[in-house]
Amino acid sequence: MAAVAESLSFLGLTPSARDPATAVRRRNRGPRNRKKGWKRWAGPEARLGREIGDFLEDVTLQQRVAGGLIAEQPDAGLFFVDTGNAEKGRKRKNKIREKPLHIDLVLQPDSKVPPPKDILSHQIPNGKKERRRRQFWERLAQRGVLPRAERRLQTRLQNAAAPPRGPPREKAPEKGRVDPGRSFYDIWADDNPLERALVGQDSWFLQQTQKQRVKRPPRLQQKPSQLPAVEVIAPGGSYNPTFEDHQALLLKAHEVEVMKKRAEDKVERQLRFPTAAEAPTAETVFREQCEGLLEESEGEEEEEEEQKEEAVGGAQPSDPPRPPLRPGKKTEQQRRKEKEARAQELRRRQEKAWRCRQQQLFRLRSLGRQLRRWEQELLRRRRAREAKRREMEGRPRRLGRIKYEDPALEVQLSDELAESLRTLKPEGSVLHDRFKSLQKRSLIEPRERAKFKRKYRLKYVEKRAFREVTL
Amino acid sequence: MGGLEKKKYQRGSATNYITRNKARKKLQLSLPDFRRLCILKGIYPHEPRHKKKVNKGSTAARTFYLLKDIKFLLHEPIVNKFREYKIFVRKLRKAYGKSEWGTAERLKDNKPTYKLDHIVKERYPTFVDALRDLDDALSMCFLFSTFPRTGKCHVQTIQLCRRLAVEFLNYVIASRSLRKVFLSIKGIYYQAEVLGQPITWITPYTFAHDHPTDVDYRVMATFTEFYTTLLGFVNFRLYHSLNLHYPPKIDGQAEVEVKPAEGKEYAMDSESYLEKLSALSASLARVVAPTQEDDVEMDEFPVEGETAEQMDARRKEQEALEKHKKLFEGLRFFLNREVPREPLAFVIRCFGGQVSWDKSLCIGATYDVSDPSITHQIVDRPRVEQQVVGRYYLQPQWVFDSVNAKLCLPVADYFPGVLLPPHLSPFVTEQEGDYIPPEKLKLLAMQRGEDPGEETEEEEEEEEEEEEDDNDKDEEEEEEDESEKEEEIKLKKMEEQKAQSNKALPVKVTAGKVRLEDKQRLEQEQQSEEKRLAIMMMKKREKYLYKKIMFGKKRKIREANKLAAKRKAHDTALKEEKKKTKKARRA
Repeated sequence: MAAVAESLSFLGLTPSARDPATAVRRRNRGPRNRKKGWKRWAGPEARLGREIGDFLEDVTLQQRVAGGLIAEQPDAGLFFVDTGNAEKGRKRKNKIREKPLHIDLVLQPDSKVPPPKDILSHQIPNGKKERRRRQFWERLAQRGVLPRAERRLQTRLQNAAAPPRGPPREKAPEKGRVDPGRSFYDIWADDNPLERALVGQDSWFLQQTQKQRVKRPPRLQQKPSQLPAVEVIAPGGSYNPTFEDHQALLLKAHEVEVMKKRAEDKVERQLRFPTAAEAPTAETVFREQCEGLLEESEGEEEEEEEQKEEAVGGAQPSDPPRPPLRPGKKTEQQRRKEKEARAQELRRRQEKAWRCRQQQLFRLRSLGRQLRRWEQELLRRRRAREAKRREMEGRPRRLGRIKYEDPALEVQLSDELAESLRTLKPEGSVLHDRFKSLQKRSLIEPRERAKFKRKYRLKYVEKRAFREVTL
Repeated sequence: MGGLEKKKYQRGSATNYITRNKARKKLQLSLPDFRRLCILKGIYPHEPRHKKKVNKGSTAARTFYLLKDIKFLLHEPIVNKFREYKIFVRKLRKAYGKSEWGTAERLKDNKPTYKLDHIVKERYPTFVDALRDLDDALSMCFLFSTFPRTGKCHVQTIQLCRRLAVEFLNYVIASRSLRKVFLSIKGIYYQAEVLGQPITWITPYTFAHDHPTDVDYRVMATFTEFYTTLLGFVNFRLYHSLNLHYPPKIDGQAEVEVKPAEGKEYAMDSESYLEKLSALSASLARVVAPTQEDDVEMDEFPVEGETAEQMDARRKEQEALEKHKKLFEGLRFFLNREVPREPLAFVIRCFGGQVSWDKSLCIGATYDVSDPSITHQIVDRPRVEQQVVGRYYLQPQWVFDSVNAKLCLPVADYFPGVLLPPHLSPFVTEQEGDYIPPEKLKLLAMQRGEDPGEETEEEEEEEEEEEEDDNDKDEEEEEEDESEKEEEIKLKKMEEQKAQSNKALPVKVTAGKVRLEDKQRLEQEQQSEEKRLAIMMMKKREKYLYKKIMFGKKRKIREANKLAAKRKAHDTALKEEKKKTKKARRA
């Protein structure tokens, strides 16, 4: 307390002592451009006003500094008893530390009026509601009613502690397929619960009353792919592989990467900005614009010339202009002649065919050879087809818009290999492996994740409270 | 011609297929429900051979199903359940929206559920069918059982998967049917032989999950839903085939109940039971107590068309298998806390070993580190303080390698801090002419009962000798001088002997030598001669094929030789480097 008093003792309580500027400011009479400002501010009212003003300022100053009027303060609040030299020695020792730095003094809050509370920091969202609810549940708890979650927990604990006493519910809820405590039975035995109800009944009755399940067609027993369900990783994928196996796996991974790089390079090459030599100049642009126009005109000229020549040459052997075909009825004679010609043609063709057949009798051997050759060709084609089909069978099918793509090879570089099992860092994910395996065996179609599409565009607003500070 | 014009796409393949959207509409299901139904029923999309015909002239890539498959789906009772569930969700949402909590409760109590038992029976009419498809089911269950319970899928599913997986592991232990283990960088591959069917599955390493984003969790959860049902029924059947209780009971239940205090620390009673099971340290109780097994040898009936040799080979195989099953019998293991407990405990118990771990590590520890009867302690840290005499301290790879090699490997290569020999994949079977790495060769030799360790020791000795050579060349030179002198003496003696014999008799009848007719060689010659003749007599086409095959074989051998040479070069380079470092260290 002594220290506080001391620090305060630097400053007097007179208005001018605290802030020397105020004394000077008193004389300011306001703006001089008005007549009001010219007045000398004399007279009894003005003095009274000044005194009241001084008094009020003094009171606020005392409140600020001493926390109330000094006259009203008890003596103990203002004075202390100096009890001698005992502290003097210590004080001298700590003198340097005791004296506060000027800069600290300036920065110290010298107001006794407490700062306004930051209400926001004390506010809890939905605080009132939550408090109400808490009070509500407390009231209920006094009456012995607990919230549902707690109730369930309690019953669970009790059930676990003591097996069910009293009569159970008449119909226990059926345990679902994912209940971890569900029971199983021998489904492949002759009298399994699944089919016990149907045993010994008339099959016709069962069929008509739709109690018998539809038989699964045998075609569905075959799997779409013959690939094994779990494909074991290559020996190079061991956590501690032999040198060769690891190299082989690395080579495989390298080849995949090379292919990827090549595809990437190709795209880049095609999209590259042309160099100065390749870039279009004014001349090439012009030529491009005229593309086709010039050549066409040249061609046309030539054609025209040709046409002229033809016209010159063709005019000499003057054919009599053919009379245009007259549309109209044919005469009886014409019909008869045409008919005879048709019949003769038919006869001629038949004779020719007969002759050919006769001739083929002498070509029996060569025909046989031809046949054999043809059959061989067919066999070859069938084999090729089968081979192709067999090859395709191993491959995943195309089942939708997206093609199946092999997952990235799991591989660890030579310096990533673990020295012992403890330091092993697993590569890849088993979940991903399983998922890709299902796709590879054509059990599910490859899909891509549905993209999130925003209905409305986002609008960005900078709030005043959080406006970005730019210096 | 005449007749009506045939309309396009009204017969043939166009009518045999149906697009996915049409199928969905026909079944009145939403797309996720349709997908779920197809997975559960095992109906997969088809790729038609003539897509343009099926697609009515369009070439857009679509998903097609066989129309008959979809018609088959129409009879499925689960379809109705799906519709009911949809309605249930709608009602519930409405009740919540109106804040009718009583209605919501009532609806929830009557939540429609369905079971997949009949689908399991339908898809797998016999038990063997189910066993053949167990690979997928196991991999999926083991995968899901390691998921964190953070809402990626239902917690119940995870619990069920864990339960089924543990049950299966316990079955494999009880039946001793594990055959191969492979530690890969992706996960651990296991292969067991269950009722004659090889079953392979993969388990992820623990705590190795980062959830990939390009995986459809809903699809995976649907697959798991079906596979859990399947695995449950298979487990039941398997347990009963061994006369074990299902759900599994730990043997010597009374003993466990005497000290339940241990369990209380971990979990609730219902949970601690599964925990104890998953510790894999206790054996399971049998329905009928096993009577003293009187070793009745089975009568052997020769299978028709089987020669004595084949039968002999079969019997030998059987014996080897029996021996393999009892690989770790009588050994007592202790797992340090830094090694993966579950896979190791599983593998050791599968081959008859006893295993324990620190009590604070996991429930179910049976003995302490200080137990003097421990023979092997599995350690995975560079060096071990406070070693106890009378037990081997080994790295975990020894266990897996021994299982794959079908014999207890020499322990010297697996001491803590020692550079481990490579972990070979047991799933690779080399064919004739393939390149076999030297590590595998060594292993094969060991399996035959030879001791390949000598070679390496000799090599090392040679090395040491070489090093010694550098140190004391002078001594060696002296030795060389001595040896030269000895040789000279010998030569002189020989000459003397020759001279004497020449002097004695110019003509001599030497004793007749029995010319040994090497029957084997003769036979071989005969065979090769026959072969050559047969080749000569081949038709041109066959000969061409034969030559092609032989060329392929030779190429394979050549490649193998190349690889071997490469390896040798690599090894020598390594050795030299090692030597250099050694010298540097010395200097």
